[in-house]
Amino acid sequence: MNPSIKLCCRAFAALALAVVLGICAGHQWASPADIWQAITERDTLRGRLLWEWRMPRVLAAACVGALLGLSGAVFQGVFRNPLAEPYLLGASGGAALGATIALLVPLGLPQSWLLPVLAFAGAWGSTLLVLGVARVAGALDASGMLLAGVAMAAMLGAIRSFLMLALSDETVSLQVVMSWVLGGIQTPTWSGLGWLALVTLACLLATQTLARGLDLLGLGDATAQSFGLDVARFVPRAVLLGSLVVAAAVAYGGLVAFVGLAAPHIARWWVGPRHRWVLPASALAGAVVVTIADAMARSVLPPAEVPLGLITAVAGGPFFIVLLARRLRAHGGRA
Amino acid sequence: MRPRMRGAGGFDRRALLCAGAALGLGALAPVRAASEPIHLRDALGRDVVLPAPAQRIVTIFSSNTELVAALGLMDRIVGVEEYTRFPPEVAGLPKVGGRLGFSVDAVVAQRPDLVIVTPARQAANQLVDPMERIGVPVMVLLSRGLDEVMANVCQVALAAGVGARGAALVQLLQRRLAVVDARVAGRSAPRALMITGRMGNGMLLVARPGTYTNEAMLRAGARHAIPGIGALAQVSPEAALAADPDVLLFAGAQAGLDELTRRPGWRDMRAVRAQRAITVARAEFLIPGPRTFDGIETLARWILRAGQKGWG
Repeated sequence: MNPSIKLCCRAFAALALAVVLGICAGHQWASPADIWQAITERDTLRGRLLWEWRMPRVLAAACVGALLGLSGAVFQGVFRNPLAEPYLLGASGGAALGATIALLVPLGLPQSWLLPVLAFAGAWGSTLLVLGVARVAGALDASGMLLAGVAMAAMLGAIRSFLMLALSDETVSLQVVMSWVLGGIQTPTWSGLGWLALVTLACLLATQTLARGLDLLGLGDATAQSFGLDVARFVPRAVLLGSLVVAAAVAYGGLVAFVGLAAPHIARWWVGPRHRWVLPASALAGAVVVTIADAMARSVLPPAEVPLGLITAVAGGPFFIVLLARRLRAHGGRA
Repeated sequence: MRPRMRGAGGFDRRALLCAGAALGLGALAPVRAASEPIHLRDALGRDVVLPAPAQRIVTIFSSNTELVAALGLMDRIVGVEEYTRFPPEVAGLPKVGGRLGFSVDAVVAQRPDLVIVTPARQAANQLVDPMERIGVPVMVLLSRGLDEVMANVCQVALAAGVGARGAALVQLLQRRLAVVDARVAGRSAPRALMITGRMGNGMLLVARPGTYTNEAMLRAGARHAIPGIGALAQVSPEAALAADPDVLLFAGAQAGLDELTRRPGWRDMRAVRAQRAITVARAEFLIPGPRTFDGIETLARWILRAGQKGWG
């Protein structure tokens, strides 16, 4: 069998395994027989729990992970920095502010759609602002955008802190915002999951249009330019698309730490540096990581649910360090 | 001035039902054949339909557990959250969540036919939508004032098929309030500040207008020392000192009050100098339920006794 097809099969098998594990995991573990029963007959409470709640959540976790992996690969490619992550340009600050408004300010609208909409708007809006500020300041290069992002994140963080302090009391607790900020999958309905899957697929296809540009950018601005890439136009376009992808992830998963940083590295170890393959592989790696982390979040401390972002950071950090160390040993000190 | 009863989302109808039942006006109480489903509207304006009176109830938060227990339905509670301590029988009940949130799995594992939640912490966010999808009736209760606390008693009683019991309990609570009202009527009301919590940055959480805690304090015969406090729950210690209340109420342990009143400035506060800085039970003033009425009676007695020599 062709090695890349073999690799692809293995990756999809890992995702399928993670999804099955995710559906089994919970306060009460379900056996594969329970899952089959829930799919075929849904007239029991437990069957409805698995079908209406756990399955869409697990699949949504996979989509959120894929989006995070995808956006991480775009950002690391654009900034040519292995430490770049999807929240680099203030998306996390904007999303958290949007979520804080949705959760604490009584706007009289249903929170079930206000929360994802404002989180999405905050995440993407803050990146638009950063790009706008960088453009006005005449610093639309990587360092200019990064500095504008830092300033924007500080401002948005301060506004969010003020809202949390001013509007929190015994009833509307800070815990609601804290819990959102630390990440957690918002379980969609089956139709909502369909939309999320479509968005994920669309993002996957849209980011493929960036693959060649990201490869060229990795050779340096001058070389990329000499190969016909309009760097000045390509970078903001890639950033906007990457931010759109992370905003979609944030709307359904809150601020899940670490995945957007780690998934592209895992992908590069799998498939090499070409973005045509790195992008889908990173999406797949993100999907596997978030699905497993969400399963752990729901099952390690029953009946409580540990925020997903804590699991991804605590469990994913050492995993990432081990992989990195192995990689360094294998390549004589070069990651 | 006595606080006025407020109407809020879904409340008027419940209050009407409750009042009707409490006064023994059968025409206003819901008439339901044994096999008919129970239709209610909760605090979020959601229609809650129970096919039959609830027999297996999961109560999220102490306030909702206490409401069910006060109706003598402790044996119907099948799950509570980790920080529910009262009544003592809850100790052995399965826990469905705590500080880290609430587990849909754990709730469903109890096979409940009703889940009662309050939109505090993540409860409503984490439970209402999943329960609706799974098909378990979930009722959201709010307690912004004493009227809502009493309406909640009726709401829970109707859901459990013991409407008359709920009406009787509300009638009793109303009579107790009327006795307190009669006792404090015409007396000079002290300017009181109730501290309900302290923040790490030194700011104070205080009872503020629009909350049942504040209403309970006013009902006991006090008036707010910072009436224009607005919607913000936090005040700076400076604002509390500037208000110089006649009475300082601290919802917490005596050690916490002692530590606060030993601080510079607090020793000179009128309430502290006159030894009118006291603790009140958190269970009575920070958990909206029948015990809040115990707290009102206790505080009213103390205010009447302390005010015998005037508030100067």
